[in-house]
Amino acid sequence: MAEKKPTGTVLVAGAGVSGIKAAIELAEIGYKVLLTDASPQIGGILAKLDNQFPTDHCGMCRMLPLVGREYASQYCMRKGLYHENIEILPFTELKSVEGDAGNYTIELLQKARYIDTDKCNGLGECIKVCPVEVGDEFNHGLTKRKAVYKPVPHNTPQMLLIDMAACTKCGECVKVCPTNVINLEAEDELSTRQVHAIILASGVKLYNLEEFEDAKSWAVSPDVVSSLAFERIISGSGTFDGTIKRPSDGKAAKKIAWIQCMGSRNRRQKRDYCSSICCMFALKEAVLAKEKGGDDVETTIFYMDMRTFGKDFYQYYEKAVDEHGVKLIRCRVQGVMLNPDKSLSMRYFDSETQEFFVVDYDMVVLSTGQVPYETHKKLADLLHVAINAQGLLPTDPYEKVKLIKPGMFLCGSLMGLTDLSEAISSGIAAAGQVSRFLSGIDVTLLEEEEIPEPTAKDRDEPLISIVLCKCSEKAKESSVDFNALGAGLKKLNSVGEVNIIDMVCSDEGKQTVLDLLSKSKCNRLLIGACHPFMYRKSLKNLAKKAGFSASLFEIIDLSSIVHKGFFESETKDQTRLAYNEIRAVIENLKLKPALHVETLPINPAALVVGGGIAGMHAAFSLAQRGVKVHLVEKSDTLGGYAGTKIEHTIDGLTPISMAKDLTIKVLEHKHITLYKNCEVVATQGSLGAFETKIRDLAKEENFYLNHGAAIIATGGHEGVTAEYEYGNSDQILTQAELKDGLTTGEIDVGEAETIVMIQCVGSRQKDGREYCSRICCIGAIANALTIKEKNPEARVFILYRDVMTYGFAEQYYTQARLAGIIFVSYSLENKPKVELKDGSPVITFTEPVLNSEMQLSPDYLILSTGVDAEASNRDVGKAFSLPVNGDGFFVEADSKWRPVEFLKVGLYVAGVAHSPMTLKDAILQAEAAAHKTYAYLSGRKIHTAHVISKVHHAICVKCQRCVDICPYGARSYDEVLDRIIVDGATCQACGMCGVACQNNAAEIMGFSDKQIMAVIDARLYRDPVATTAQ
Amino acid sequence: MANFTKLSFKKGELNQKLADLFKGMMEKGVVDALLAPMIQPKRGVMLTLVTDPSLVGAIDPFAPVVPVNGARIASSITGKPSGRKTAMVLRSCEIRALVELCKLKQAHLDDVLLIGMDCLGRYENLDFIKLRAEGQSSEAFIEKALAGNTESGGCDVSGACKICEFPVADNVDLRLCIIGTGSDALYIESLTPKGDKALETAGLGIGEAPAGREAAVQQLVKKRKDACDAAFAQYRESTPSVDALEDRLANCINCYNCRVACPVCYCKECVFVTDTFRHNGDQYMGWADTFGTLKMPTDTIFYHLTRMSHMSLFCVGCGQCTSACPNSIDLMPMFKAVAQKTQARFDYQAGRSHEEKQPLTVFENDELVEVTGQIK
Repeated sequence: MAEKKPTGTVLVAGAGVSGIKAAIELAEIGYKVLLTDASPQIGGILAKLDNQFPTDHCGMCRMLPLVGREYASQYCMRKGLYHENIEILPFTELKSVEGDAGNYTIELLQKARYIDTDKCNGLGECIKVCPVEVGDEFNHGLTKRKAVYKPVPHNTPQMLLIDMAACTKCGECVKVCPTNVINLEAEDELSTRQVHAIILASGVKLYNLEEFEDAKSWAVSPDVVSSLAFERIISGSGTFDGTIKRPSDGKAAKKIAWIQCMGSRNRRQKRDYCSSICCMFALKEAVLAKEKGGDDVETTIFYMDMRTFGKDFYQYYEKAVDEHGVKLIRCRVQGVMLNPDKSLSMRYFDSETQEFFVVDYDMVVLSTGQVPYETHKKLADLLHVAINAQGLLPTDPYEKVKLIKPGMFLCGSLMGLTDLSEAISSGIAAAGQVSRFLSGIDVTLLEEEEIPEPTAKDRDEPLISIVLCKCSEKAKESSVDFNALGAGLKKLNSVGEVNIIDMVCSDEGKQTVLDLLSKSKCNRLLIGACHPFMYRKSLKNLAKKAGFSASLFEIIDLSSIVHKGFFESETKDQTRLAYNEIRAVIENLKLKPALHVETLPINPAALVVGGGIAGMHAAFSLAQRGVKVHLVEKSDTLGGYAGTKIEHTIDGLTPISMAKDLTIKVLEHKHITLYKNCEVVATQGSLGAFETKIRDLAKEENFYLNHGAAIIATGGHEGVTAEYEYGNSDQILTQAELKDGLTTGEIDVGEAETIVMIQCVGSRQKDGREYCSRICCIGAIANALTIKEKNPEARVFILYRDVMTYGFAEQYYTQARLAGIIFVSYSLENKPKVELKDGSPVITFTEPVLNSEMQLSPDYLILSTGVDAEASNRDVGKAFSLPVNGDGFFVEADSKWRPVEFLKVGLYVAGVAHSPMTLKDAILQAEAAAHKTYAYLSGRKIHTAHVISKVHHAICVKCQRCVDICPYGARSYDEVLDRIIVDGATCQACGMCGVACQNNAAEIMGFSDKQIMAVIDARLYRDPVATTAQ
Repeated sequence: MANFTKLSFKKGELNQKLADLFKGMMEKGVVDALLAPMIQPKRGVMLTLVTDPSLVGAIDPFAPVVPVNGARIASSITGKPSGRKTAMVLRSCEIRALVELCKLKQAHLDDVLLIGMDCLGRYENLDFIKLRAEGQSSEAFIEKALAGNTESGGCDVSGACKICEFPVADNVDLRLCIIGTGSDALYIESLTPKGDKALETAGLGIGEAPAGREAAVQQLVKKRKDACDAAFAQYRESTPSVDALEDRLANCINCYNCRVACPVCYCKECVFVTDTFRHNGDQYMGWADTFGTLKMPTDTIFYHLTRMSHMSLFCVGCGQCTSACPNSIDLMPMFKAVAQKTQARFDYQAGRSHEEKQPLTVFENDELVEVTGQIK
């Protein structure tokens, strides 16, 4: 027999959201993942954030897989991550990496926690007795913790550890520990592992007030805090229970100021970059401060440029200013002074009134950003690669997540501080790159344990087998009298047997249960154990092996009753509490119907709409993994806007030649079929089985394509305008026309004296493009630098509202200013004015520093007209029943957590169809969209969940309220069949349809009214048996 | 605005004039069919669907009776549309319910010429039959009612009508106006291009509005609103608690007549007749155990509250529920008073417009945060 191939194993180093996302994506398609983090916990920065814009809610769980819910635990991700294929190693450092592509030997140093977290019950008796107090890192030193502590207060199970630097080894904790799991002499453990690919997701170091010299002058009071510390101050689990009090004396903070660009955009400190996320972070915090602190809270943000460049960022900014009254002042404040009454004074110059003001604040929040280079150097050494000229890890010029060394990838803030959306899409893209890489080497996937579904005996009279776990390992002295509880339950109608055993979670425990159940005559099963969200899958498999159908089986979280771990109950009688709880579950279990999962028929072919760079990249990425791809392009050329119009970019990319290479790869690939001059007309079906009608525009005939999933990559183009006399003078051009002219030499700037550029033409305003197009500022700077290169004497003015050179593009802004390009800001209320004199443009604008009007008669007036969505998006949206926003871009499922997905499962979006973005970002999204697609088309079995909504057609009146209200778009009305159809893969069983439907024609299977009413009745029942159970 | 047609009539000839009007409309092809209240031999007045123009003579739209809320009838005819052009003569409460049924896709108005008529109230069915037998005509009722008196022979119009603030129907193509038009004329008002076209095809001219109409309508609405406020106040005072609610509904026998009569209860099969409410013997015994006694039949308050949660957002206050109850439970004030509050919470009014989306049919991320307890 041939030697068994190894299971594809991937190291994901860094367990912030991007690392977690990459790990989940790989684990879901069947690879083994080692997920490490240098800190004692996982979750990264997100563990500290309760609220994310634009919803101002938490939505972390939205990164969990939606299809096959039955096979992946669904839980609050702020509590933790649980996945069978992911080995989570917190407090673990990557010490060395040796070997070649596809075969790496890594050394991991797992630091000692001094507590065996597998056996610790997490109740923290040790914390109570520990005499040592130090500042709590989680709350940024705003609160104290003991030497033995919970690193994240809301994690489940709790992962306690001892801070040995603070510990005095007094031994008190060892004495009180009920489970004997503390070992103060524990040592760090070094282990060697073999992995086939590596994803680095260790994030970036953050600027802080303790470490950096230039920051210390700001820290004049405890009331000057970093933005992350402020997040803890307003958090419900933070320092002040969610109300805003200043740290120095606990007084309510009513006047709060944010100062932007702390530690960033500072060339003197060699930090010539923008940290990208702080503007939105500050806006969100200012809005939250108002929401949580009350209407009388005043919030002011001092900024240089409000960089609201991402999708829907500008709308949030408008909302913050217009609806919430957040005040914005464009001024770089020089310092903060502490007053005797502890208030904080700041002096600023108001360019509108041309006056200096001194204003007192209760609290000052510093928007601290990233400090990249140091961490990158260390990592580069570890991986035996050289850092690039910018001091960052060397990546592929077009693919941001791909290191130049094969088999190594990165994601998240290692690329430069990223917002959530990019962290998530880069995590998916990195997973996609790994999957492409692993599909080319000799490894296999983890095999799913296939247990045949036993025949459900729901027609028989219900007879319930109850298994209760005493969990003695974690609770030496249980407050529940298990014998009395068992005796009480045994007396209930429909209860066949009650078995009380120990440690169901252990292998022996499982075997005991299996032996017991195999002999059972019961047809329904109830297991009471701890942490059902962790053990759900293994217990379900256990039940199946013993012949119990998964849908006639219920797990109850006994530990939260027995150990009072989750809530402090007033009721002292825990036995009775447990009895009542279990009795209600029994009533429900008795009425449960047998439900079956459906294995979806999956057509392993993808449809990609749009043959631009994003579309081609996605198509190739899928084809490389063996997926058949139909690539549909409405024009007769591939390449899209960037691939046919843009010769080169400021960062040295050459889109046209890159697109040519990609075109050849696409045309040559045996799995890709290209349909030029074709457009989509209509589609129907669901994940795995879509059928799309295509119109051949040249032949004027229709044909159909069948596919399992689709990616929308319809792109966009340069915006059009009629503003500023455009079209009335050949001296007035768009940026693209200028670029083209400069490249071909048709425009000669050798003799030009003055060139004026106007940014945000028709953009970022209510009646125009209500968004930032992201690329125009950098594009304008690139053109301006080219002009300066050709003619250093030329005066170039750039009239801007906010210079959006976010991230490492800040250096081009610096470079432009050094080259003598003059930047003049204008406001939306006071736009520049353009008139034609003798056919030439004359431009009038206000110079804000001098506050005087200026007039220029430039040789050329260049307009940055932004990026428009393709007009055909609306038709494509209609064909696929996908939402398109007011600006004509597609609306993704969730802007933060599901950036490349649509609510309807099986449909994805990439590139400018989503929103204006750079070429690299479009490629990143294409990779991510391709991976989401691959995850369903890879050949693994895709099941619907047991619990999905169903239509009882006989009593359905087709009022379609369920269709309107379904937040996932899982329901539709089929006119031909005259029926409501449920897409079983997309339905998440949220129950909204059941609420909208008056007579239960829409029902969530397993949650019938009858069951719910039985549970309520059971809870209201005055029970004589319970008293005897004591 | 000049979009009124005057239709003068001599005393006792109103129905004849209307019959001529609709006969003309059908003959000229304005519509193929007519749904309107018609006199039934010995059986009072019922909505009747007419396709033969020669048989419209029995029309009597202003007869003060509504045996069935016509929205249900309109839904039966247009739920699966026939494609035939039909004129429907209905009252405000029927049309408002019909608007809701359209939103629920239970009725379709594409082929319908909707004709609303001024309504001065309806008698309970048995009262109406009695009054008719005593010789009361529709014209006599109109005259008396316009003078402010609806009481006749010991009978009065229903409680719902007395507090109805919509004597004039909106969302119609044509309106048959009798309020403020003088006693010898009926005016037909056109409100839509469809209405204009119908009048034009029927060969009817267009003229000015009757002078006193607006003031007369306003006065009537004011009177009814005041009565409505008083009725709500009285209902709320008399039903301050769950116990009082139990008393109010104490005689319910689960006949479900109120649900059958309700024009916006549109389910094919009510959940209360499904297995969900078919309990086992030990269920009843369990309930009896808890309190020692159990009044039968069970689930009566549950039924009314469930129905309320299903339809209070669409309730138009037509009062058919009260009329249908064999045990004289006055349900209308309860449903209408609750509906007023639930609809106000969503800034919604059942039947006000075709365009307004029904509440709770669009998924909102943030909604009703004060009751959902959703926290940020």
